Amino acid sequence: MPNRHSDPSRTRGRRFREQLFRGLTLIALVLVVGPAAWILIGVVARAIPHWQWSVLVTPTSGVGGGLSQDIVGTLVLMLGVLVVAGSLGVLAGIYLSEMAKPRRNGRPGAVLFRSATEVLSGVPSITLGFVAYVSLVVGLHWGFSLLPAVLVLSVMVIPYIAKSTETALAQVPTSYRDGAEALGMSPAYSLRKIVIRSAIPGVVTGLLLALAIAGGETAPLLLTAGNTSSYPTGQLLHQPIGYLTYPVWTFYNYPSNQAHFLAYDAALILVVLVMALLIVTRMIVARTQRHSEGGRG
Amino acid sequence: MALIGRDTGDVPVSPPDVATRRTRVLRRVTDFGRSNESGIWKSAGWVAAALPLAALTFTVVILVVKAWPSIQVNGGHFLTGSAWKPGNTYGATVHTHGVAHPLGSSYGALALVVGTLQTSAIAVVLALPLSLGAAFALTERLPPWMARPLAFAVEILAGIPSVVIGLWGVLTLGPFLAQHVYPAIADHMPDVPILRYFRNPVGHGEGLATSGIVLALMIVPIITATTRDLFVQVPSLPKEGATALGMTDSEVARRVTIPWVLSGIIGATVLGLGRALGETIAVAMISGAALNTIAPNIYGTMGTIAAAIVTQLDSAYTDGTGFAVSALAEAALVLAVITIATNVIARIIISRTSRNGAPVGRAL
Amino acid sequence: MVRTFRGKWILPVILAAGVIAAACSNGSSSSTTTSTSTGATPSASSGTVETPPTATVSETGSTLLYPLWNIWTPAYNQKFSQVTINTAGTGSGTGISDAANGTVDIGSSDAYLSSSQTQATPTLLNIPLAISVQVLSYNLPGVTAHLKLSGKILSEIYQGKITTWNDPAIKSANPGVTLPSIPIVALHRSDGSGDTFIFTQYLSKQDASGWGNTVSFGTTVQWPSTPGALAEQGNGGMVSGCKATPGCIAYVGISFLSQLLGDGLNYGQLQNGTGNYELPTPAAVQAEANYFIPKTPANGTISLINGPVSAGYPIINYEYAIVNSHQSSTSTAKAIRSLLQWAISPTYGNSSQYLSQVSFQPLPAKVIAQSTKQIASIK
Repeated sequence: MPNRHSDPSRTRGRRFREQLFRGLTLIALVLVVGPAAWILIGVVARAIPHWQWSVLVTPTSGVGGGLSQDIVGTLVLMLGVLVVAGSLGVLAGIYLSEMAKPRRNGRPGAVLFRSATEVLSGVPSITLGFVAYVSLVVGLHWGFSLLPAVLVLSVMVIPYIAKSTETALAQVPTSYRDGAEALGMSPAYSLRKIVIRSAIPGVVTGLLLALAIAGGETAPLLLTAGNTSSYPTGQLLHQPIGYLTYPVWTFYNYPSNQAHFLAYDAALILVVLVMALLIVTRMIVARTQRHSEGGRG
Repeated sequence: MALIGRDTGDVPVSPPDVATRRTRVLRRVTDFGRSNESGIWKSAGWVAAALPLAALTFTVVILVVKAWPSIQVNGGHFLTGSAWKPGNTYGATVHTHGVAHPLGSSYGALALVVGTLQTSAIAVVLALPLSLGAAFALTERLPPWMARPLAFAVEILAGIPSVVIGLWGVLTLGPFLAQHVYPAIADHMPDVPILRYFRNPVGHGEGLATSGIVLALMIVPIITATTRDLFVQVPSLPKEGATALGMTDSEVARRVTIPWVLSGIIGATVLGLGRALGETIAVAMISGAALNTIAPNIYGTMGTIAAAIVTQLDSAYTDGTGFAVSALAEAALVLAVITIATNVIARIIISRTSRNGAPVGRAL
Repeated sequence: MVRTFRGKWILPVILAAGVIAAACSNGSSSSTTTSTSTGATPSASSGTVETPPTATVSETGSTLLYPLWNIWTPAYNQKFSQVTINTAGTGSGTGISDAANGTVDIGSSDAYLSSSQTQATPTLLNIPLAISVQVLSYNLPGVTAHLKLSGKILSEIYQGKITTWNDPAIKSANPGVTLPSIPIVALHRSDGSGDTFIFTQYLSKQDASGWGNTVSFGTTVQWPSTPGALAEQGNGGMVSGCKATPGCIAYVGISFLSQLLGDGLNYGQLQNGTGNYELPTPAAVQAEANYFIPKTPANGTISLINGPVSAGYPIINYEYAIVNSHQSSTSTAKAIRSLLQWAISPTYGNSSQYLSQVSFQPLPAKVIAQSTKQIASIK
């Protein structure tokens, strides 16, 4: 007697759906990875034919020249973000993970700070740039300069660094903490010497990814850093600073071949920079997985 | 012998012979530090953790203060009208409700709001199935030696600056779509209610459809990475049990894996949606940056709030009354409200449907 | 016994104090040499260029003037290498805004200041530097003629009332030219633009009852919705956009003429205030300018558009440097004065070796004297 499960047409239907599913997931993967490769190839193909190494050491003059002041500017901005957002974000992550008093129903504490961090991570970067422009650059007469740029980038990435620090700390096995307590270490001492040290790879990964995000931003920097063809002088106020996303945004449709080449070259340098950060991140993750207790390596 | 049993209240914080080597001030400082170490960590951590709240409050306060003149003058018309009128900045200045603004200026952001929602909706609709499919392929279909470099490729897509993606969109993808893909779709669309939206004219590649596709590409890595992490965390017992009962892989995916991590997927999608709503530069380059236009068909040029802010803010102070800046502030406020509301709604959904709480995924 | 640490408010207080201190400091960008007294006042006679101290001068604004700034900058630096000049082409609207805000030293603008701007910032000057021109370019492969376009026709194009190139109105203005039936794609500027200002002034004057009544003029206007219209950033964007869009029409500054022609675009003859159609030749520009020069006020604020000059080209304008006469740093002020004096001097910046590269016309002597007086007031 045929029933639902031995009916051949149902089996054919299920088999077809299964093949369809397999095919669709692979197509999806191709549609995701394909454009990634297309973008990279496109950037490289446009930049390489006219590449000159002098671009790396010559500053921009007008719509020609090189990109050296933008490269230095981006690196200086990343350094500033590392110092400001790195320290504050890691501290915040440590606080939220280790030191906030848990609530009575067992949920983690510092709910207000935690929610604010989550919400801030969703606020668009253009909004933060707008606020920084209106209040700092114009309102406080700081002008386009390094400090408002670093501040706005830091506010953008602190939630991300805090979250990744919290994750990294949460992954430190409780046996480490228990052992430290059993040995009589004070909480602060064990935090400093044991817990944070084991979480360093995760924290560093978060920092590197935050730098990649900060280095690739354009909109908030247009409104806070301005632009210039001079190298950064370390002055915090009233001195604009160049950055690599600026020539891409400004020169891509300027009717001059020189300008286009600068835009493509800047895009290439940005991609190389980001890839370097991502590769280093991957290497750190691979090393820790190999060395950790529960690693798959 | 003398030390054991000594009253611990008298134990000096630092041993005597060390103290003689350091100066008294330095010893005071380090002793203070050491005995209050956890206190210092706690206060520093408290300040750092409070900063996002302070920044968020500051942002909202500045936006509301700056937007207040525009809210007073434009009122509800800001959200219902699509005419973005700077007025005659070289004409007379008039006063409405005590606010000075150029004659004829009246700002309606409906076209911008609609454009923002449209591009983000297209992006999510395209990105979600692609991300789920890619995540499945990466975790279950492919051997690890293949999956790892492909996963890295997805990560690279996440890291590419949006201005570079915009550049590619304008120079490569837009023309390609306008010459090969859009005509193929538009020429075969019948003139019926919904499909009418997909008919000609096709334009030159700048517009709603291309913006949506580019945004989808930008948020796919976020959703894929988080979903991948979630799929890996699904315990294998339920999956193997389902397979043992005779379910095919697609049925296991549909009935076991996805429901298990549904709240996480929703969370990741909302993260992606938030990114799409706020994306500025790539959309400014590809959408045509219109201020007053709602796209007449899916290929038409339009604008989003973020693109409008980045193209108009620099010159907004030409309006000597400050009204233009105020209108942009109100637009930024609307955008912030939309993104925050999306965030909050998602967290409510997650906390209602989840067993494990919100996912902790790599949200690059 | 561990003392409780009550200092958790120290950090925020220190941070806040630091922020307030930074805001209060008027940080002049470089205060190396204080201006040595070269006399009672800076020289007011034309042609004198002060020697600047070491300083950085930032300029932003008009994309029409931007190519000329990029030609002027290395030439100025050959004479005075101690001044670092940063230039950018961001649109006249940004030039005016940034100069008013103090975020830039010199704002370039094709548009003069409005009364509300001078009310908001009374110390803001608009100083004429040169006379520039705007052309109407179009992308019609196969049409080699310079089409005759009147303000009325352009107004209807930009209102979406004329939608194809072979419209009867355009045909009647251009007998003997075969016009294709492709749709017109009208390009306008998305950023605050001096080119928009002078173009919309032209439309307002030629079509007073239509465009002048509804849209009027300004650096930003509410463009009527036309089919397929595109918004572009900067003159550069207008040229690139028009090149990529057959059937486009775009208003472009004359400093981009060589790029236009190199990209296969053409430009039209415009109807002037007396009804004649003129090409933007130096003679036509000079004729139009000659009418307005005697009328130019001391502060330089005047429109040179659509004058009743029978042989004049109707869309010309002064290129302005928008500068705050009240500078926070004396060394920057001196460097700004030196740069601007160099720019308007017929021996230096206003000589034909620079201006001819962008097809601008030099300032007449009367306006040079007026600009010199304005420059002298920058302290």
